[in-house]
Amino acid sequence: MPDHVPTDFREHEPAVPPTDTFAVVRSEDGRWYTVTGPCPTCRATVVFRVAYGVLGPPKRLLRGGRRTPEPLTGSIPVYCQCGYPHAEKPPESPDAGCGAFWEVPVPSPAPGTTT
Amino acid sequence: MTDLAKKRFAQLGQQLQLDQLTVVRRQAEGWRNGLTGLTGLVGVVFVLKGRESVAGMPAVWRWTTAALLVAAFGLLLIGALGAVRAAHGQLGQRTWLTGDRLFAAVLDEVERTQDALTAARRTSVVGLCAIVAAIGVSWVVPAEESAAGSKEPATAVPHVLVVTVDGPRCGELMAGDTRTLTLKVAGESGESGGRTPAASGWRSIPFDQVRSITPVRGC
Repeated sequence: MPDHVPTDFREHEPAVPPTDTFAVVRSEDGRWYTVTGPCPTCRATVVFRVAYGVLGPPKRLLRGGRRTPEPLTGSIPVYCQCGYPHAEKPPESPDAGCGAFWEVPVPSPAPGTTT
Repeated sequence: MTDLAKKRFAQLGQQLQLDQLTVVRRQAEGWRNGLTGLTGLVGVVFVLKGRESVAGMPAVWRWTTAALLVAAFGLLLIGALGAVRAAHGQLGQRTWLTGDRLFAAVLDEVERTQDALTAARRTSVVGLCAIVAAIGVSWVVPAEESAAGSKEPATAVPHVLVVTVDGPRCGELMAGDTRTLTLKVAGESGESGGRTPAASGWRSIPFDQVRSITPVRGC
């Protein structure tokens, strides 16, 4: 299987082949997830990181050390960041991939779990 | 059907991962400016202030006011420094600039910035309340002279000690002209023998009998 298929750039949500597997790994401190797997369109291996962010000051009265956020549930929208050049990509597009995006379900909250 | 909004928000999330420290700093700057304005607002609102100093207040209220002002100063100082720290970061913080460590350091700093901002907001509000309480105390607490038990204001009538040929006389100076000096002497009517206001008497002393007049605080 080639590492990369030079498809034209196109923003679409392809169906994920059932044979594709994705690793969804939570970091040791629990503050980010790393999704690794093949792009359904261009077949390049994509590494996608999602961190826990804050949108405003916390409300709690007592402050502790570093907080571990609640585990992420549901799925993570992932888009291709293969880094290969793709034809037909608009110059103003910030994409670094083929334009495809898909969803990867998050496994049950246990660090190091893969799907 | 392609839901591009899903991808756009995913892209926004990726961008925020890189920009969140800048976003939080900008947010802290806004809060710092707001807290500074709030502190200045107290000065504007209380421009119609009451007494200028705590002199003349009963000791317990004088110390209460002083304690409130000292506490307010400390809290506002902590709040101001916390807001500046949140807006501009802690001096001397260092980390290895590898991707993972920098990423973790950014997340840490975002949390610390939020904590500093929260603490600054709380201490500033409590400090402002302490200032308002101190000003309120200075407004409503009566002066010590009127709180000491005297029914008449201390500045109403001056007391004088008049030495005459018959001896000293002490009383309130009520009137004086070219011939006589009139004193209100408490407890000298001789009828009741008490020192009640009802026993007070007015005494006119001819000037040719006066040897000296000395102002005194009381008789």
